[in-house]
Amino acid sequence: MSNTVNVAGLSFTLANPTTTRKFGPRIGSAVFRRPNGAELTIETPGMLASSSRGVIPHLSRDHHNLTKAIRWVHIPFETFLEHSPPVPTLQAGKNPLHTFLGFLPSQHILSMSIRDPHDGKGMPSNGNAHVCASSLRGVRKISPSTWRSHVGACQPDIAIALSDTPFTDPPYSQKRLTKSIERSVQWLADILQPVEEPALRPNIFVHMSGATSIPARRAFSESLTEILHGREADSVKPFRCLDEGVSGYTFNLVPLRLSLDASIRPVPEDQHDIPPTIDSRDPLPTRNTRHADQIIPLLQASLISLPTSKTRLINSARSPHEILLFIQNIGVDLFDAHWAQRAADIGIALDFRFPVTEHARGKASTKLGKEIPTNGKRNIGHNLYHNDYTLDFTSLGGDSFVGSYDDRANMATQDICLCAACSPAIPRTRIAHGNDPNEASSIIPEEAPPRYRPPYTRAYVHHLLHTHEMTAHSLLVMHNISVLDAFFAGVRRVVAEKGEQEFIEEVKVFESTYDGNLAVFDEARVMWRNVEMARGKGRLAREKAKQEESTLGTAVEL
Amino acid sequence: MEFEVLAKCHTTRARVSRMKLAHGVTMLPTFMPVATQAAIKGLTPEQVESLGVSLILNNTYHLNLRPGLKVLQEAGGAHKFQGWDGNLLTDSGGFQMVSLNKFMTMTEEGALFESPFTGEPTMLTPEESISIQHIIGADIIMQLDDVVSSLTVGPRVEEAMERSVRWLDRCIAQHENSGKKRTQNLFAIVQGGLDPELRDRCLDEMVKRKDGVSGFAIGGLSGGEEKDIFWRIIKQCAEKLPEDRPRYSMGIGFAEDLLVCVALGVDMADCVFPTRTARFGVALTHQGPLNLRLSKHAKDFNPIDEACPCPTCESGTSRAMLHHIVTHETAAAHALTLHNVTFQAQVMGRARTAIMEGTFPDYLHSFFANYFGDVGYPEWCVNALRSVGVDLLEGKDINVVPGQGAKWEYAKS
Repeated sequence: MSNTVNVAGLSFTLANPTTTRKFGPRIGSAVFRRPNGAELTIETPGMLASSSRGVIPHLSRDHHNLTKAIRWVHIPFETFLEHSPPVPTLQAGKNPLHTFLGFLPSQHILSMSIRDPHDGKGMPSNGNAHVCASSLRGVRKISPSTWRSHVGACQPDIAIALSDTPFTDPPYSQKRLTKSIERSVQWLADILQPVEEPALRPNIFVHMSGATSIPARRAFSESLTEILHGREADSVKPFRCLDEGVSGYTFNLVPLRLSLDASIRPVPEDQHDIPPTIDSRDPLPTRNTRHADQIIPLLQASLISLPTSKTRLINSARSPHEILLFIQNIGVDLFDAHWAQRAADIGIALDFRFPVTEHARGKASTKLGKEIPTNGKRNIGHNLYHNDYTLDFTSLGGDSFVGSYDDRANMATQDICLCAACSPAIPRTRIAHGNDPNEASSIIPEEAPPRYRPPYTRAYVHHLLHTHEMTAHSLLVMHNISVLDAFFAGVRRVVAEKGEQEFIEEVKVFESTYDGNLAVFDEARVMWRNVEMARGKGRLAREKAKQEESTLGTAVEL
Repeated sequence: MEFEVLAKCHTTRARVSRMKLAHGVTMLPTFMPVATQAAIKGLTPEQVESLGVSLILNNTYHLNLRPGLKVLQEAGGAHKFQGWDGNLLTDSGGFQMVSLNKFMTMTEEGALFESPFTGEPTMLTPEESISIQHIIGADIIMQLDDVVSSLTVGPRVEEAMERSVRWLDRCIAQHENSGKKRTQNLFAIVQGGLDPELRDRCLDEMVKRKDGVSGFAIGGLSGGEEKDIFWRIIKQCAEKLPEDRPRYSMGIGFAEDLLVCVALGVDMADCVFPTRTARFGVALTHQGPLNLRLSKHAKDFNPIDEACPCPTCESGTSRAMLHHIVTHETAAAHALTLHNVTFQAQVMGRARTAIMEGTFPDYLHSFFANYFGDVGYPEWCVNALRSVGVDLLEGKDINVVPGQGAKWEYAKS
């Protein structure tokens, strides 16, 4: 049995483990050691890529392998519930989930949750023994034991325990919250049941329950560290408390935002059936920044009684500004890239750095009149739908990075964007067909350094967006994920090399340099919709209307 | 252009040649994937290159509208604009004007159409088409021809053929005076509809102008005409076209069509079929197309083709996974496009190898047996290949299917 196991053991180390502070910027590394000895390291703060139906939207397998910023991918499992048993659970061989989805055990960490953490659409109530999940064939009820068996069959590196997060209309009564906590605790205990082969069990992360109630969140956390006795203790042997079986804490911001919205907008009795507005489900940032300030105390309430030594993961942060707030005020270690990937869907090429470069610190450039949103700050990216880019032959992230082709002066690694759009590498191999002559396949030797071409230009992607070519989104996704990865590398560098005070100063500079309202995203969304209307085919219209509400990636015409 | 015939099939009229253009060597016969608007659907140029493709096609009509000539000019041509280092061919824009414009009239001066942006009447003359293609900068450019649907009958077909000859002269003159002859190569397009006599007259006139052109295309086909007429026209044209010029059959993409055309003496072909069908969930294989939307693939953990070297098969993407994402995720279209473009290149690559090794008739036998063995051979393929000395039915007890005979995987009803 054990020779089929290749789940990675996780050890998380903070750079300064002696600190007794609960909250504040921190750096660390999550090392995943596979049974065959291979190690994968995720430096924190860092990122994970979001997936839809098991793929990173717009990326073929060669592209997700090529994008070195993609090291951890999160897989919502619910779309696989269309078949019973779910098809990935039937995959043979080692690392079934990796194999089925085409991720490399040597390169990618996979985490798996039942629900898509970004999906905030209304759902039927969960039961005492099931979570309601969403699939194309309708709502599916998943029991804790079914989830345990799917996790066991798929062997992701990390599994998120089931949690009772209501997606019925907020606000929620105290009674509902109490039930939610009880169920979530019970379901965590279920996935921590003793197994014959402990190595078979993936690392378990738990979603922090309690919605927007500080007492409820505290109560949930306290029940994790409570020492168990009797039958309860036996059921999670050898762990003395649930927290011992947990490797990380996750926070899904979508349900929190839904609750926060509901709490400021009294819901009249007769409107209970109206689903939450599209806007509040949209993971893209809006001008509304109040959420982060409200969310921070909620997350702190969850973490206050828990050990600091475990990874903290946030899903659905909306902007680099928010991410910096969560790093600074809480010490969150991991963030999903959903917002940056979604930006690629709507034609945004990210172009920002942390710490802010000398060049960007100065006045925002007035070139072509496209750089300045109304508040005089820089945009964190370019809305490449805009006609100002028709003749712009600079690279996608050209204000912050160069491509490898132009790296004549051997610049520091942080100055280079290695994505396949900014640094397209000449393929090392070409498939030979028939009697191709040598001159038609000048292969670069394996030991030779890669050779690069000039970057793809904003003008080219602008053209691809307006002609509805899917290549635009492939290039943008690879680029945006790489820019976000570079952002986290910058955060780690500042915290490690300059310390907390300097980091806080750099956050201030970042906030005063880059527009945190992301006005450029609003503009892009409007233009994206216009092109969709003009060029999209009617056949997919209904599907699209459904998709664009919250789904990543799929809202692009095939 | 350097063009050299390296080998000829001892039985059929198939041949292997080496065509050297400004952006490298392309071995013929070859299939050209179509990058209508400066991108092969969903792929990057590096991906296309890694598949072993060295010649792709852009559409002049589309590029002229978007991004427009100003952008292409400032970018330094279409190669630089789309980051494609290989060879490139552009059509003249004539075909799209016919297929995409409701309000187009052909005059002797040129094609008069309504601008899709402003609605104003706009004229595309042969001279202008060539100038536009000079700005785009493709390695092979096409003459503007007077295109009529292959189903058209009557005097219009003759008029279009004769006008295409006159327009060829104007295109040659424009190209001669451009200073672009060293890097760009003009191809003529043989017209004449489905009428062998008109085709003959067109061939005679155009072959006379051989010194002004680098190659010849066979146009006006693939418009829904009967396959038995289609192959006879291809055969007639290929036979009459000069040995020392590449022959390009426009709009051909089904594997069986490609191999029949190669056997009849065709060197190049293009079609949106392999990339379009990929977006609808169809993978091309040597055993025939697979429709991955069908639920029979939902739990099939085999790749599309165990032996295929494309990134999709090579990374072990299962039919089950493809079924899960097909028509939902663009990544499924990318996976199948990578595969289908590779498949087309393989069909042609194997043809080249077989011709070089003197085994092309054997290749035809084995291809048809694998591809059509279960459903029966298209009658027109049998007829066409018989005309060049290969009898597919020889020693076989196999069904022959009349009509178009293209193979498709349908859901069981």
